[in-house]
Amino acid sequence: MKLPAGRFLKALPALLVLLVVGLGTTDGGWVKQMKRGDRLFRRPARTLRVERLALRRGPRYAADRVLVRFKPAVADAYAEGLLRSYGFSSVRKIPRIGVYSVRTSPGVSVAETLAMLRRNADIEQARPDYRARLADTPNDTFFVQYQYSLRNRGVVLDIRDDIQPQTTAGADIKATPAWDAAKGDPETVIAILDSGVDMTHPELAAKVVSAGRDFANDDDDATDDNWHGTHVAGIAAADTDNSEGIAGVAWNCKILPVKVTEADGTGFYSWIIDGIIWAADQGADVINLSLGGDFDDPFLEDACKYAFERGVVLVASAGNDAGSVLYPAAYDSYVLAVAATDYNDEPTDFSNFGPQVDVAAPGVYILGPAPQWFVGEASLPYLFVSGTSQAAPHVSGLAALIKSLKPELEPAEVMKIIRYTADDVNASVDRGRDDHIGYGRINMERALAPYILK
Amino acid sequence: MRKRSGRARRFVPLGIALVLAAAHAPAAESKVQKFMAGLNFDHFSKTVVWDGDTGSSRLRASLVSARTDFGFGKGLTLSLSVGLSLTDFEGLVFGTLPITLEYDASPMKGLVLGAELEALLLKSGDFEIKTAGRFVSSLGMSKTWPLEGFAVEGEAKGRSNWMEASAGPRLAYLLSDAFVPYIEVNARWLRADFRMDETLGDLQGHEKRLAKGDFSFSVALGGDARVSDRLTIKAKAGFIPYAGGVDALASVGLLYVF
Repeated sequence: MKLPAGRFLKALPALLVLLVVGLGTTDGGWVKQMKRGDRLFRRPARTLRVERLALRRGPRYAADRVLVRFKPAVADAYAEGLLRSYGFSSVRKIPRIGVYSVRTSPGVSVAETLAMLRRNADIEQARPDYRARLADTPNDTFFVQYQYSLRNRGVVLDIRDDIQPQTTAGADIKATPAWDAAKGDPETVIAILDSGVDMTHPELAAKVVSAGRDFANDDDDATDDNWHGTHVAGIAAADTDNSEGIAGVAWNCKILPVKVTEADGTGFYSWIIDGIIWAADQGADVINLSLGGDFDDPFLEDACKYAFERGVVLVASAGNDAGSVLYPAAYDSYVLAVAATDYNDEPTDFSNFGPQVDVAAPGVYILGPAPQWFVGEASLPYLFVSGTSQAAPHVSGLAALIKSLKPELEPAEVMKIIRYTADDVNASVDRGRDDHIGYGRINMERALAPYILK
Repeated sequence: MRKRSGRARRFVPLGIALVLAAAHAPAAESKVQKFMAGLNFDHFSKTVVWDGDTGSSRLRASLVSARTDFGFGKGLTLSLSVGLSLTDFEGLVFGTLPITLEYDASPMKGLVLGAELEALLLKSGDFEIKTAGRFVSSLGMSKTWPLEGFAVEGEAKGRSNWMEASAGPRLAYLLSDAFVPYIEVNARWLRADFRMDETLGDLQGHEKRLAKGDFSFSVALGGDARVSDRLTIKAKAGFIPYAGGVDALASVGLLYVF
């Protein structure tokens, strides 16, 4: 086609109209770990069989189907005839509740179909056929029966013949719905600064990234010679959905063992300082410190600051003396201080308190892995333990999941998310942030699952 | 570089259509021979893949606009429109905000501006072939949602914009003076963005979702019906096929001829 230049130029104004309209050591102090243990004797434990879930986020409802209920006075024959008159290709009645499942006409959306049906005076309700999903529950043997902290169904905790507390349904950290949003990235590493980790334990063997570092003995083997670190590591990130033992908070995240206490569970600040700096330099994303000392120390604080400024989220237990918050938990700017609640969402009487407490997590009768040599051959390698040491790894696990999902977030942001999404479980006594449980018991679901804008 | 040239290729059909339309334009100084004004309703759904997403979601827009058509003779018509849009972004997720947000709210309101240029290419017997290019832009109004259930007060504030350009040939059958049915095939390009600001106490986040839109084609059937000497109804309905399904479009307008 020949385009006369003159005509093109003359048409330029028309085109322009179209375009314009249209467009951081000191040896000064020592730390301690709490020991409140009950062995899990070889009692019958049911093997759970839970099928893995395949459903993931997708459309909220069927794209070609709606559910309709007529008013009680409308006869079935009339109702079915009416539905067919709309041109629905398939009409199926669910007799017991008088609801029809109808397939929408081709090319007509569910919203349009619902709008059309709702205009009919004979129709009581017309609703989308919403999609449900199975809760993402791990198949670990003890998950359902003992791990109330992750999902509390209000069962009796059958720990020992003389220890059988009744739990409250829902007094948990909402782990199962949160796992639907995040199970953790294997690249996300939680450093466990503790007594070491039993790296041969079935719950942990596949989870440790290396033999770690032992600052108590100055070598490169952070094997646990106590039991505490193994227990703490398991709570945070035990091998999960492996058909045995327990579930960890951060299913897929890895563990970096850093031994900073001796076999008696005590260690010097200098070891902790070295441990924090070493873990940060190794690229840990989260550092769990289920330990603490009574003395404020600027060098310890500097170590925390060092890690914090390198993107590490530091989580520490408040302590179990019903007194002031221990250090490093009390370094408010850099460390999340964690208090303990129980199986009824009640603050515990042993948990330290003060303005530095950020959040709480379950810390009573928490089941976790323990070295076989410690519990003896007659027992399974697990322990029920109470303490803020057990509360803190719940929070570390959550921090690791947040970092897995949103690695670009700064530690301060992760800390705020954990604080602001907590459940104020003692609101009836002390509304808002308080010195006993801080902002409240952590809520993994609120921190990880999407908030629906309505 | 490669990406840019690919994008440029997508604009080629649009460019050709516009140039053809312009080439057939009469002299710019032509006086308006026909003037029509009225109301138009448009609706379309478009399956889009937002940047960073692995799956698609659907954008649905309904537009109500005041429209004026300027007929310049020789089959050249320029339409300008201004109105309101309602755009649904159901299922859109803002996953990099501190608290992930998922949109399941009522449609977002916006101001819509549009222009369409239609030109006669060929007329033979009872058939004529026209080419038409259309551009519509929706400038979204901001909306605020309170974030409830948290330890501190919070809110989310969102704003969305989108624009769509389409162009292609239209084959009309000159059935009678009163009714002219037609079929049209259009190349389409859609760009949408949604900015979301989140505030939760002293925790703040900002995320911008962007959908550059896949290049797509639509097929529509329509007709211009003259119901009286002064009133004309323009309507069309069509579909936009994509791998795995079809999207829909519909338009109806009532115009008064001055």
